[in-house]
Amino acid sequence: MNRIALVAAVAVVAVLAAAGPFLSGYALAVVYQTLVYLALAYGWNIISGYAGYFSFGQITFFGIGAYVTALSVTNAHLDWRLGALLGGLVSMALALPIGAIMLRLRGPFFSLGMLGLAQTVRVLISSSEAMGGGTGIYLPVSVNPLVVYEWTLGVAAFAFAVTVAIDRSAFGLRLRALREDQQVAGTLGVDVTGAKIRAFLISALIPGLLGGGYAMYLTLVEPVSAFSTRLELQSIVMTVFGGIGTVWGPLVGGIVMSQISEALWARFPQAYLMIFGGLLVLFLIVLPRGVVPAIADRLKKRGGPRSFTPQAAPAARETVA
Amino acid sequence: MSALLEVRNVSLAFGGVKALRDVSLDVNEGEILSIIGPNGAGKTTLFNVISGVYRPSSGSVRFEGRELVGMPLHRIAALGIARTYQVVRPFPRLSVVDNVAVAALIKERSLDAARRAAREVVDSVGLGRLAEADAGTLTLTQRKRLEVARALALRPKLILLDEVMAGLTPTEMDEMAQFVLGLRERGIGAVAGIEHVMRLVLRISDRIVVLDAGTKIAEGAPAEVISDPRVVEAYLGAPLAGV
Repeated sequence: MNRIALVAAVAVVAVLAAAGPFLSGYALAVVYQTLVYLALAYGWNIISGYAGYFSFGQITFFGIGAYVTALSVTNAHLDWRLGALLGGLVSMALALPIGAIMLRLRGPFFSLGMLGLAQTVRVLISSSEAMGGGTGIYLPVSVNPLVVYEWTLGVAAFAFAVTVAIDRSAFGLRLRALREDQQVAGTLGVDVTGAKIRAFLISALIPGLLGGGYAMYLTLVEPVSAFSTRLELQSIVMTVFGGIGTVWGPLVGGIVMSQISEALWARFPQAYLMIFGGLLVLFLIVLPRGVVPAIADRLKKRGGPRSFTPQAAPAARETVA
Repeated sequence: MSALLEVRNVSLAFGGVKALRDVSLDVNEGEILSIIGPNGAGKTTLFNVISGVYRPSSGSVRFEGRELVGMPLHRIAALGIARTYQVVRPFPRLSVVDNVAVAALIKERSLDAARRAAREVVDSVGLGRLAEADAGTLTLTQRKRLEVARALALRPKLILLDEVMAGLTPTEMDEMAQFVLGLRERGIGAVAGIEHVMRLVLRISDRIVVLDAGTKIAEGAPAEVISDPRVVEAYLGAPLAGV
């Protein structure tokens, strides 16, 4: 990954931060939504992309963040940002025991376990009077959407920065190793349990930090939107489309998909979801690993000497020792 | 002086199948111990017990005096035990150098340092020109080398080589034998699981342990083990009477 792209990423964040006050209400809403998706996607990408634990339930922590914030604001009269920060920390704290149990499950069992967790927490909260039950909790309308936008931009930038740091670290390599083969990673000295739990905590912190902003933005927290299946699936699809377990995958997937989705919606308001679904299937058949790895492979092949295939390198037969 | 590795009375059953029965053996520093036995004799199971993949039903495994039974895999690796797998298991979507760097991280703090150390090991096993290729694109022989490279990158005191000779051509077997003998010079002990290739077993081994149906049936210097009638029987079947 090159320096120019990173500088560009920092510049984009700066421009988005500076542009906030000048955006129209609609434009702000569109960019805000995209940032929520992107941050969720980056959060999900750590445990599911790098560590290979495909989670259908990270939205649980988004919901927990939203409810912690709502309760902090209405009961304790905290500044909502403090509440949102608390939401992130509570999510991470809860992720420790949850992860210790869930990460024992492998493959589809983990995915389904996490899906079940999200639904269980949603139903529990729906049936709790203190949490507002099915109607939820109304929040003060005095919060400026621009501040929520800035908070979310901050969380998205944080999620991206954490991903870059992990991608270049020993921790990131350990995660990718255990994704490929846990037993072999263990015999090569990787603390498999410790590494995957740490990844899970990061993937809980990020949605936890986001949920509070979302609640304040809607001025309401209620079970269906706080544990939104749509948000969850959309952020997963974005990441898978762009390239799971890569730094740029969620970003590329998010931007391309939101553009396609907007364009289709404008032209075919009735059939857009159907066409969108069809396109997605087509893309995944053609580029199963996602857009970013496909481009990276192309570049590698053009690059010449970096692209040794076994047939191209018969000279690699020297003595073993 | 006590041995580097002490396996004592290890038994392991899978359901009704007794994969290992009361197996004991020692490996000394810099010693090459070959474990021979027909397919299904329990060689791989024994490697899995020593490296912590399986927990024995009873018995103990000590390394430099420390009990390994119940210890997580990565801690056993950190103590200085490396192993290779019979069915080679590279991380297919990681580059060759990153495959090895995972192991090198056990001694190196930073990823850069681990990659540099890995690069040296990769060069030393003759995979230098493939360092950046995805491990999934390697041929079987290259994968075997990668397996060895990862084990070496742990800078172990003991290497468990599961079926080192399987799938190799005669020339490659000679190279592998050379490599195993090289370990002794570097003070690394080795336990080599070998199914058939007697010529090489005799050449590389300081001592031999023979497993048959999960039981140790013979142990000793190569020449005497090979002529042991129980070993001949396990390998070749009982001498035909009256022919």
